[in-house]
Amino acid sequence: MNLQYLNWKIYFENPAEAEPDEWFKVFSTWIPDAPEIFIDVADYKHVPDGPVTLLVGHYVNYSLDATGRSLGLLYDYKHPMDGSDEEKIRASLQGILRVAKRLEEDAGFTHKPKFKAGSLRFIVNSRAAAPNTPQTLEAVKPDLIKVLAKAFGEGGFDLEHLTDPRQRFSVQVTAKGSPVLAEVLKRLG
Amino acid sequence: MPSTRNKQGRCYIYPTMKDLDLVSSESAQHWKKTLSDRLDPKWREDIDNFETDIVLKKKGKIEDRVFAETRLRMGAYGQRYDNGHRHDGNESRTIPFPTDLNKGPETKWDAPGMERIKLPWGGMSADQLDVMAELAEEYSDSILHITTRQDIQLHYIHIENCPSMFRRLAAVNITTREACGNSVRNVTACPIAGVCREEAFDITGYANAVFKYLLGHPDVQDFGRKFKIALSGCKHNPCGLTNIHDLGLTAVARPRPDGTVARGFEYVVGGGLGAVTYDAKLFSDFVPEEEVLALTQATCRVYARLGEKKKRHRARIKFLVADMGIDKFREAVLEERAKLPNDPRWTDFLATLPKFEEKPLRAAGKGIPKTNDAMFDFWCLTNVYPQKQDGFVTVTITLPMGDITSNQARALSDVARKYVKDTMRTTVEQNIVMRWVSEADLYNVYNDLKAIDLAEPGAASIVDITACPGTDTCKLGVSSSRGLAAELRTRLAVKFVEMDEAVRNLRIKVSGCFNSCGQQHIADIGFYGISRNVAGYIVPHFQMVLGGQFTNNGGSYGLATGGIASKAIPGVVDKLLDMYLHGKQKGEIFRAWVERTGKGVIMQSIADVAAVPAYDKDKSYYTDWGSVREYNVKDKGMGECAGEVVSLTEFGLKAADREIFDAQLKYDAGDIQAAGDKAYKAMLLAAQGLIKMFNIDISDDPERVMAEFRERFYDSKLFFDPIAGPTYANFYFGGHDERNAKLDKEKAGRRLKEAQIFLEACHNCNLRMSMGANKGKEGILAKPDAKA
Repeated sequence: MNLQYLNWKIYFENPAEAEPDEWFKVFSTWIPDAPEIFIDVADYKHVPDGPVTLLVGHYVNYSLDATGRSLGLLYDYKHPMDGSDEEKIRASLQGILRVAKRLEEDAGFTHKPKFKAGSLRFIVNSRAAAPNTPQTLEAVKPDLIKVLAKAFGEGGFDLEHLTDPRQRFSVQVTAKGSPVLAEVLKRLG
Repeated sequence: MPSTRNKQGRCYIYPTMKDLDLVSSESAQHWKKTLSDRLDPKWREDIDNFETDIVLKKKGKIEDRVFAETRLRMGAYGQRYDNGHRHDGNESRTIPFPTDLNKGPETKWDAPGMERIKLPWGGMSADQLDVMAELAEEYSDSILHITTRQDIQLHYIHIENCPSMFRRLAAVNITTREACGNSVRNVTACPIAGVCREEAFDITGYANAVFKYLLGHPDVQDFGRKFKIALSGCKHNPCGLTNIHDLGLTAVARPRPDGTVARGFEYVVGGGLGAVTYDAKLFSDFVPEEEVLALTQATCRVYARLGEKKKRHRARIKFLVADMGIDKFREAVLEERAKLPNDPRWTDFLATLPKFEEKPLRAAGKGIPKTNDAMFDFWCLTNVYPQKQDGFVTVTITLPMGDITSNQARALSDVARKYVKDTMRTTVEQNIVMRWVSEADLYNVYNDLKAIDLAEPGAASIVDITACPGTDTCKLGVSSSRGLAAELRTRLAVKFVEMDEAVRNLRIKVSGCFNSCGQQHIADIGFYGISRNVAGYIVPHFQMVLGGQFTNNGGSYGLATGGIASKAIPGVVDKLLDMYLHGKQKGEIFRAWVERTGKGVIMQSIADVAAVPAYDKDKSYYTDWGSVREYNVKDKGMGECAGEVVSLTEFGLKAADREIFDAQLKYDAGDIQAAGDKAYKAMLLAAQGLIKMFNIDISDDPERVMAEFRERFYDSKLFFDPIAGPTYANFYFGGHDERNAKLDKEKAGRRLKEAQIFLEACHNCNLRMSMGANKGKEGILAKPDAKA
């Protein structure tokens, strides 16, 4: 395969404490002098089951996201990436974990977010590149497992393919135990 | 890679197939490959052409402003910060987009933009909504935004994703063509047409005919500004808003002496909001149905010919009608109408009208179910409309700020499939209606909608606030219309259920600037964004407009009352509502109360709540709603509502450039005959483009194009190069003579080179003429608007 448009979502330990206005403020402070190209922050707290607070970037969008009615941080890589599928999966997973860590440490929050490093969703945001079928799962699984084994150890996680054919190709990743975000990042290299 | 260089040093470089692949991702190629055969051939050609234009633009072959108008005519609009700058509250910062390329004057290639999707008469099927939900996820931000003209807009889109989006839309019969730019925009219509208890007749099929007839029509390609058309089934309701449109058609059923009924339309022109509102003028109180398309075509031709092209702020048809006076305007249109050759499409559509008669999916009910659910009862009060067909109702799905997420949209499609087939429509109040709901199903529909958070009450009420995108995404936004609307909505919703009916039924509408996309002039309480200097600080404000009339199709405009600081507005609205509730006479509507009370008294009464505290006392007034940056107006840019004035000649030359590009690709791929044929076609298009300076009706017939080119450009020597004389025209003449010949590689290669040189000569000729180099030769040339 040639996987592109990779998304990851990481869920909260403390979803009730996520305050959209705070996220808006924090994301806004990220725009000036960012090493990434950021454009603006959008507020969608008036709609359910979708983005809540969105930091729009050129390469990546980050959002406080309630899609599927579960709150988390969504990482949406929007441009074609170079490398093998394994490299792309690893790079994007590192991407979301780094941002999650940065958010946990951001002094702008009164209600600091705390993420579950072992509760993630992998999404391919392209129905052309990855139709939501068992065949796609078979094709993606080996590279996904290689990356997740690095992150959580061999056999240290469960995968669940979310099979609704109208949704994008998505796999729920649940690590065994309670992995620590910084350690997972370190293991990924 | 082949290249040639002309004597001015302009270098042509045509990309190889490999280069084309670089700008077309695998996903894009997938959609092209899998969908192309399913598309309407004309729409496919439009999309293929646009894709080629993207490639040519990246190669520097198309001017910024020509590309801007090209993309606008495919619905791809600019967004805030697309000039590459954003103010962070302290200073303006450059956004370091990766390329220096532009997609319009002062518009960065990589800056995200908005895509407007046209939904004629607001109609959409469940399958179409599903596709738009997918596009929102994959290319946008999972939000579908419904506009006040029944379109759907997606934001934060990269221009290079547009061809894939267009293909996926076209595969479900949606086009974005002419959704923006100087063209006929979406044709809007009453969303309850066909089920309305008060309509003269169902106008859906007529709206569709107007849309289809004018889409891409040669007579609507040369406007100075946009042209908006609306249809309504009756005069007194606000669903169609015909009075605020460039052209408004209101259904009239006129009894004939023999007892039958003649269908026709009241025809009004020149209405409009914007900075200065204009009342629509009555052109005719009855235009028979068989005459509607012909008269509309004639109106468009007069607007294209006589409308202002240079002064953008005077280029809408409302100015032309006002300047000429309705009588002279009518005379000009009728004269034009008399000259038009008959087109069978003017009346063919009448036979297709029954196709638009919708049928229910489920059997009629016998009354709305009785429940003990008070919220259901309240929702029925505000969101349910009993149809003229017994046992059926129309349900309004209230969308906050016109927004719905992809997941909600998909779930809504399922509800529609379950209860009503494909009878959804968007509304000018940024909602969606589902028609033909059986009364027997209503409680189940309510519960299904509730499960996806789409059963909010308050449709068409004071909490159902209309707002344009404003400073959130619009380049012209001055103040945060969505921020203000959200705040008002949240506050008013708390007391909505207990509100007096007179207050509950008022309308609030908000625009981020004076351009009135939020339609504030026809609201009871309207606002449009302005800024004010308060003790040396710039403070976000809104001009308050009171007493507009939403009914009677936007019957009359409100009164600008005064500027109010954004953060003071919720308090001001509370005070106003209180004053109205306690000061109104029995049965007195808001507009009448405003007129009786007077602007001075109202402003005086709200002065205490409207006051702006000093900066050091309360800094919050110096930051807009939905923003954390101290307010400034430096992010405001040049709007693209007006589009770019690009002549038909420039469009023709661009089409020729695209054709020669394709010819080169064919040549590189070894398809020699096709390369030669396309090279000739490129010359034909370029010649035709030049002729359009004088005759916009020039046909596509190669013989006519040749004859007219020879007469207007060769015999007049207008085309002659200052140094090379007539040489380059001879390439076209030679190509024309041998256009049906079988070509070998050498001959095709030669024709390709000659065509490239001829195209360059056409560009130079256009340049010389636009600079006035041929002044004095007009006598030989001028045959404006001669019908071929």
